[in-house]
Amino acid sequence: MSLGLDLSYLERSARGEFDLGWLRDTDTEWGVRAVPSKTGLTMRDIFIGSYGEVPEHAPLRTMAPRGSDVAPDVPDMGYTINDKSEVWSDNVLDLYEEAVSRQWSATRDIPWGDLAPLDPDVEHAMCQLATVLSEVEMVAADFPAKWLWRINHDFVEAKMFLCTQVMDEARHTEVFRKRALANGGGLGKATAVVERFLQLILDADSYDEGSALMHLLGEGIVLSLFRAGAALAPSPVEQQIFRLCMQDEARHVAYGTMHLRYRLERDPSMAEDFHAYLDKGEEIMAMIFTTPEIVEPTAILAAGSVEAARDLGAAAGDVLRLQIVGDYLKRCDHAGLDRRGRLHLPDAIVQGVPGAMAGAAA
Amino acid sequence: MPAISAPFPSGPWFEELVARATADTGAIERLGIAEFRFGMEIVLPDGTRPLFGLVLDGYDITAVGPMDEGTFAPELVFSGQLDAWTEMIRWIEAHGPADSAHSLNGLSIAGIPFEARSSDAMGSDKFYRFMGTLQAVFDAAGSESPVPVGTV
Ligand SMILES: [Fe+2]
Ligand SMILES: [Fe+2]
Repeated sequence: MSLGLDLSYLERSARGEFDLGWLRDTDTEWGVRAVPSKTGLTMRDIFIGSYGEVPEHAPLRTMAPRGSDVAPDVPDMGYTINDKSEVWSDNVLDLYEEAVSRQWSATRDIPWGDLAPLDPDVEHAMCQLATVLSEVEMVAADFPAKWLWRINHDFVEAKMFLCTQVMDEARHTEVFRKRALANGGGLGKATAVVERFLQLILDADSYDEGSALMHLLGEGIVLSLFRAGAALAPSPVEQQIFRLCMQDEARHVAYGTMHLRYRLERDPSMAEDFHAYLDKGEEIMAMIFTTPEIVEPTAILAAGSVEAARDLGAAAGDVLRLQIVGDYLKRCDHAGLDRRGRLHLPDAIVQGVPGAMAGAAA
Repeated sequence: MPAISAPFPSGPWFEELVARATADTGAIERLGIAEFRFGMEIVLPDGTRPLFGLVLDGYDITAVGPMDEGTFAPELVFSGQLDAWTEMIRWIEAHGPADSAHSLNGLSIAGIPFEARSSDAMGSDKFYRFMGTLQAVFDAAGSESPVPVGTV
């Protein structure tokens, strides 16, 4: 491949013979003066004029900034995601700004010095939960990273948001690994069922499939686990960890929900495809609800000990499951996908385990 | 830090809460930007349900109300009996920032004693997205400034 090296340009420019084509003959919108809003100059503030126009189908497959004057001989980057509706969501600009603004540090912003010794069973439970979370978080970086380089640069705002997600998930992996190793415990068990769910996401044939499984279903489950973790935290350290992770995770889920909505609004015929993806995902979701390495640590954190968890644990499990399923169905509704009639979850998971609440009251 | 002098629930009580929470603008900025209309419903013994609101807009936080729910148009309503509200606030006044059991999240996760209700998923997800900011506001009932990230 010839790069078209023109050494004579050096001689001409040394004589002061500039090209200046970029100065005089550039065909782009000029005179743009984006006005900062009150929090600073946001992505929405610069989403103006022709620069705020995102093509439904990208005309080129280049890394040229959208709105620039693209040379005719630019190479083809081979992007495979060239339709806006494959990655876009109406909230993606705002979610990007929010993500950047609400970043935090797992080193600095967690009061690690305040960790106190816990009952050994509770410490084990926290470490087991931290193990699972440290395991699952990174797939939510791997999945966007796997697809990012295939997404057309014309949808750069969506790519930028996915970059924030990658950073968020690195921090989640970090903070749970740190928690497992910071208070006299260590890592616990990694299970095949969890790995199978992660594999389903990572190996998804399309961004559509993987995003539905991850942003909507998987991260919805994790978000509920973070909510529960913050509510059951044995100390302010875990409360802060789970609260900060919850904030990040809810952004990822908000993207997934609004992306699916955007996708379905433009192509309602895809609903059946998404139903099929979620049929598969829910089957694994049901298996996660019956995985001791996830269910039991949560119950022990809720009850305070293994013994107390035998009484309270089933009710705590019900609360968590019902919340997960309820929030998930609400998100599907908002996205325009009615899953209520075809949920692939057993009744005991959707409606609670018979007698669980009575056990808690006893 | 003395308790807020205005009676609870009242517009002046929520206004003073927000004034305390936002006194340290640097601390609020470290919590990050937020966009949310958060409704707070207090179910009184006589059955009436005054609604107050927090408007999160960038780094600005404003208390409004009492006002009609239709007028305020909250994205989520955090609702509980007066006793539950006063117990949560008294705990924070006595102990400082809410522990997990006395936090907005902990008190609403099971639907009792507080319910966090929203008409769509975006409202509940925003409740989770901005939980740190909302909790910092309520934690100000017991301390001069919020306990944000970025200060440890
Ligand atoms: Fe995460
Ligand atoms: Fe996530």
